[in-house]
Amino acid sequence: MATQANEGKILILATETCAYPGANSVGQAHSTYPANTYILRVRAPALFPEQFYLDCFEKGISGIIIMSCGEECPYEGAYHALAKRIDRVYKMMKERSLDIRRLRLTAICTVCNRAFLKEVNQMNDLVKELDEV
Amino acid sequence: MESEREMKFDAIVVGGGIAGLQTALDMADQDFKVAIVEKDASIGGKMIRLSKVFPTLDCASCITTPKMAAAAHHENITIFTYCNLNSLEREGDVITASLTQQPRYVDPVKCIGCRQCEYGCPVYVSDEEQGGLNARKAIYIPFSNAIPQLAVLDAENCSLCGKCAKVCPTDAVDFFQQPEDFVIRADTAVLATGFRLTPADQKKQYGEGKIENVITSLQMERILAPHGPYQRVIRPSDGKEPDSVAYVQCAGSRDKSLGIPYCSRVCCMYAIKQAMLLSGSLPIADIVIYYMDIRAFGKGYEQFYQNAKAMGIEFVKAKVASITQGEEQTVALHYENQEEGGVETREHDLVVLSLGMIPDWNPAGICPVATDDDAFIKSVMPKMAPALTDMEGVFVAGVATGPKDIVDTIVEAGSAAMEASGYLVEKRADHAA
Amino acid sequence: MASETGEKVGVYICYCGGNISDHVDVEKVAENVKEVPGVAVARTNMFMCSDPGQELIMEDIKNGVVNRVVVASCAPALHELTFRGAIQRAGMNPYLYDHANIREQVSWVHHGDAATDKAATLVAAAIGKAKHLKPLSPIRVDAKNHATVIGGGLAGLRAARDLSRRGTEVLLLEKSPFLGGQAAQLGKLFPTGENAGDLIKQLAKEVSDDSNITLRACAEIIKSEGYVGNFKITVKKSSPTSEEYIEKLDTFGNSKAGIGDFVPFIGLCPMEVPSQTEEFTQDTGAVVFATGFKTYIPSAGEYGYGEYPEVITLPQLIRMMARGKSGGKLEINGKRIRRAALIHCVGSRHIPGIHEPGSDGNLNEYCSRVCCSATLQAANEIREKHPETYVFEFYRDIRTYGRGHEAYYDRASQNNVIFFRFEPEDPPVIEKTDGSQYPLKIRVKDMLTFGEDIEAEVDLVVLSVGMVPNDISDLVDMMKLPVGVDRFLLEVHPKLQPVELAKTGILLAGTCQAPMDIGEACSAAQAASSKVATLLSRGYVELDPFVAEINIEKCTGTGNCADVCPVEGAIQQSETESDGEKVMHTRINPALCTGCGICVAVCPENAIDINGWTLGQYEAMVDAIAEC
Ligand SMILES: Cc1cc2nc3c(=O)[nH]c(=O)nc-3n(C[C@H](O)[C@H](O)[C@H](O)COP(=O)(O)OP(=O)(O)OC[C@H]3O[C@@H](n4cnc5c(N)ncnc54)[C@H](O)[C@@H]3O)c2cc1C
Ligand SMILES: Cc1cc2nc3c(=O)[nH]c(=O)nc-3n(C[C@H](O)[C@H](O)[C@H](O)COP(=O)(O)OP(=O)(O)OC[C@H]3O[C@@H](n4cnc5c(N)ncnc54)[C@H](O)[C@@H]3O)c2cc1C
Ligand code: SF4
Ligand code: SF4
Repeated sequence: MATQANEGKILILATETCAYPGANSVGQAHSTYPANTYILRVRAPALFPEQFYLDCFEKGISGIIIMSCGEECPYEGAYHALAKRIDRVYKMMKERSLDIRRLRLTAICTVCNRAFLKEVNQMNDLVKELDEV
Repeated sequence: MESEREMKFDAIVVGGGIAGLQTALDMADQDFKVAIVEKDASIGGKMIRLSKVFPTLDCASCITTPKMAAAAHHENITIFTYCNLNSLEREGDVITASLTQQPRYVDPVKCIGCRQCEYGCPVYVSDEEQGGLNARKAIYIPFSNAIPQLAVLDAENCSLCGKCAKVCPTDAVDFFQQPEDFVIRADTAVLATGFRLTPADQKKQYGEGKIENVITSLQMERILAPHGPYQRVIRPSDGKEPDSVAYVQCAGSRDKSLGIPYCSRVCCMYAIKQAMLLSGSLPIADIVIYYMDIRAFGKGYEQFYQNAKAMGIEFVKAKVASITQGEEQTVALHYENQEEGGVETREHDLVVLSLGMIPDWNPAGICPVATDDDAFIKSVMPKMAPALTDMEGVFVAGVATGPKDIVDTIVEAGSAAMEASGYLVEKRADHAA
Repeated sequence: MASETGEKVGVYICYCGGNISDHVDVEKVAENVKEVPGVAVARTNMFMCSDPGQELIMEDIKNGVVNRVVVASCAPALHELTFRGAIQRAGMNPYLYDHANIREQVSWVHHGDAATDKAATLVAAAIGKAKHLKPLSPIRVDAKNHATVIGGGLAGLRAARDLSRRGTEVLLLEKSPFLGGQAAQLGKLFPTGENAGDLIKQLAKEVSDDSNITLRACAEIIKSEGYVGNFKITVKKSSPTSEEYIEKLDTFGNSKAGIGDFVPFIGLCPMEVPSQTEEFTQDTGAVVFATGFKTYIPSAGEYGYGEYPEVITLPQLIRMMARGKSGGKLEINGKRIRRAALIHCVGSRHIPGIHEPGSDGNLNEYCSRVCCSATLQAANEIREKHPETYVFEFYRDIRTYGRGHEAYYDRASQNNVIFFRFEPEDPPVIEKTDGSQYPLKIRVKDMLTFGEDIEAEVDLVVLSVGMVPNDISDLVDMMKLPVGVDRFLLEVHPKLQPVELAKTGILLAGTCQAPMDIGEACSAAQAASSKVATLLSRGYVELDPFVAEINIEKCTGTGNCADVCPVEGAIQQSETESDGEKVMHTRINPALCTGCGICVAVCPENAIDINGWTLGQYEAMVDAIAEC
């Protein structure tokens, strides 16, 4: 395996219209990636309040990737609301001395296999590095 | 002989490209029962095979797959893929289509689309779904987002080794499957048979398809697609990352010598789109578009064109006179430069022919619907009711009635659905009266 | 083992004929999840999607063994509906089901113990969610099978007729006293050679003969409220006050035409002009915009417009040619036209930094789509009817894209129309001549002759003016409609929903959306009618149940949700008095809510949730993942 999975759990919030089918497309291509990744299907990640992210870290999640549709978000205004919210989460993470790189907002399309793999591997490397310290 | 299978629907849609899918969805959402008949092994038409689409640059798969899935799951839509249309005729009040289900050599009920057969098969064949730029197996799922996800055995290339049948977990492979004739009767029909590219090898001056690193625009779509043959942009002959890419506009259109005097309407825009995508993946490459007129007429298209210019894509106003093989597998373009004057030659690593559109289906002998001089299906009221053909109860949508882009195709599909459902309602009211 | 709150979850795990079981120890997963509180049974099958697989689920439901279902198999897109259907057939609410994707997202991407562990975790997460599920049903909103079409141009007429053909009752509103819109300003049409007036007469007759269509001219919407299936509009009918309409009515009257007649360059007058102002309201299920365009009016001095009487616009030329006696000479101000210059792209294809904003202060960056073919049609008409008149065309690109259009370009060359091509930076310049027999001269750097400076003396300059949207800012504000930077109405998505506005039940037909020719405008009108039929023909609209719901017990009325909701009217707040205290009530209109969930995140009381996708469900899933 290219990247060795480690203990730190990575939560992936993947949008129903873009990133979730994108993750399936990686599966159809039988590309492997670390198994410590847990993909949750969401309609629009704008649903989650700031506290949700902090609670996740509190519960022991090591990294979170929000895989959104980006500007192609089908819900009016939702992507911008999300981007703003994540800025606030970053602030709150700093206040709590959480490394903000543990939370990442990105856009993944339905066939963006390489981008998906890159995001997942990067987060895995990062989480490994941070958790070792 | 067994009696032929016969089915009854409100409407039959010929062609499962975006035009056919949208027509079917619009009708099915009004509770009409619709049959979609598609000759390929998957629905989706050209659109599902594109990379990203102008003018919004959204990924083609992302906006086609939802429509394909919606049609596939719709309770009022039945999809027949891998079918030949033998005839489509009006018999009194009904339209009768006689069809042949081509054998997939795979039981569609048993197959779960797992691709074990594909992995097991030892035979490699050039993959036309990837523009012939890489290989597939002799038994294969047409492409990753195909609907239905059913394997097809390519009998011509199968070596009959039986490996697929051995590995298939559901025993779906059936070497003895036979073609099956069946009949669909409906009250109305919509023709959405789309287009194919003008042949790349018909023009002598352009090397008749024999020059290396001269590719078609659809091949470039595959190269640019995230799930394309190379997963990056390289030229086919030697895998070199091109430093300069050129587009030859009107390569198969506006050319009386080819018998295609009309404008194919999408090639300017797709060339600009591909150029923009290329400049993303090859930031330092020169990208040149040789054109006669840039026809960026649709909503947001002119702005798209101006953006491309601002990004540094070079537009040369010239009709390319001929193409020859240059040194080291480059391609030499010979043209008259209208802006500076004189005949010039310039070499490029990779050249894309912006080919035009010709109809994918010729109704002659199959359906008595009229075609126009351009061989596309004739619209008898192009101003007020563009979907009307000369056949009662038979309507037309999308490129079947002349080149057009996806936006115009989808709108026209709505218009065909309107005509077809209006026809059904009126017909039934007449009968009731 | 049932959970304390009575959830009995059935877990069904698929082998997928080896696709899953080759990498995931399916039996081990089943063993593991049996221990999870709330799980009643955990079963496995070679193919869950097969009939025997579905039977397993249905039997358990029918026998009362389970009241929640989790299926672990391939991607939900493939079989979510299959399993929902099976559950429904067994008599249970189909939304009491969740799906674990252990093929595409586990067995095809991970191997060995890691794959089995991850599959078990995902199944545990799905169980966590399933325990929080509640029964849902699609939202049904009654819908009135009635549509209102705004605008009586060709697109509006087309839409009205088609809606009626599909059994929808129609109210057609036209602001002016005339039907036909801009097409009434045209003569012979490209590319069919039909006469615009004939098309208008034909469609207008169909409309007025149609008992399903109520037509109101001199009528405008002044108020609108409601949502799909249930709009309420207020219409004002009044005697026209605009100079343009009064002038046209005069001309119409003078031409001795009566009600129902068409007068070229005026329109078809369908009914008496109202003598007094009248208002009425109408309940309507959908609104179709067909408010059209007007032609660009060049700024004073733009290509000599307004400065020299010999500079006119294309619509003026079309009128001039139509009014000219047949066989007569082409004349302007009594003088014969020996040479005419036609300039393309006036008021279109503006480039910021090169062009100045036009007369209305706007840059029109778009191409107006019809003017190339319309100009060539006019050029051919001049050359064919008046061969003694020479025609020069000045263009940037010739955009004869449509079916049959290119033939006009070819014909123009055969007709010896002389073409000059200019760059946007160097547009043609019009000047007065000095003692020449021609009043004007036109200078240009011609790119067809390698940038040579060329000068020609002419009698007439015609500006091919583009299209700008009609001013409907009152309606845009009233109905909160999205407008693009080009000021045309903006569709939701050019490919997914090309004739729909963001507000469900409001549709687009024709040139209020973008420049189009008549065929394209009619196509759009028909597509819009199709969409209305899908919305209204059943008499109700069925919507996904995944919308916001407020827990009234928790809601304290902060109104945060209403503040952030991007959809006008989806969240409504009202104040009532209860026990002498003011209480805020917040209500969701499920017909308008898109279920985006932006509101969920901002509620300090966690009182609002999206049905089927609640925060509690996500928290349960995260808990399950964190614990494993
Ligand atoms: C290189 C290239 C790039 C493009 N890029 C863009 C872009 O970025 N944006 C854009 O808007 N447009 C683009 N287009 C245009 C776009 O592809 C078309 O507008 C669109 O695909 C037309 O859809 P259609 O359904 O009418 O035809 P098609 O996609 O051709 O579908 C027709 C279907 O009918 C089937 N069929 C044909 N005959 C029969 C028969 N006898 N029986 C049964 N089935 C039959 C075919 O197999 C096919 O599935 C591009 C075109 C090309 C060539
Ligand atoms: C110079 C020129 C030449 C052309 N030549 C051709 C040709 O040869 N062939 C061709 O196919 N096309 C041609 N066209 C294009 C053609 O004119 C349009 O496609 C067509 O007229 C569009 O019709 P429409 O119904 O969308 O808009 P319009 O014709 O503009 O109709 C809109 C109607 O809505 C009404 N309205 C506006 N606001 C309101 C309101 N608030 N309430 C109620 N009513 C309202 C208006 O009064 C008008 O009657 C040409 C265009 C131009 C400019
Ligand atoms: S034929 Fe068999 S092996 Fe091939 S995809 Fe279908 S089920 Fe899988
Ligand atoms: S249609 Fe022709 S004249 Fe009109 S704006 Fe476009 S390019 Fe210019």
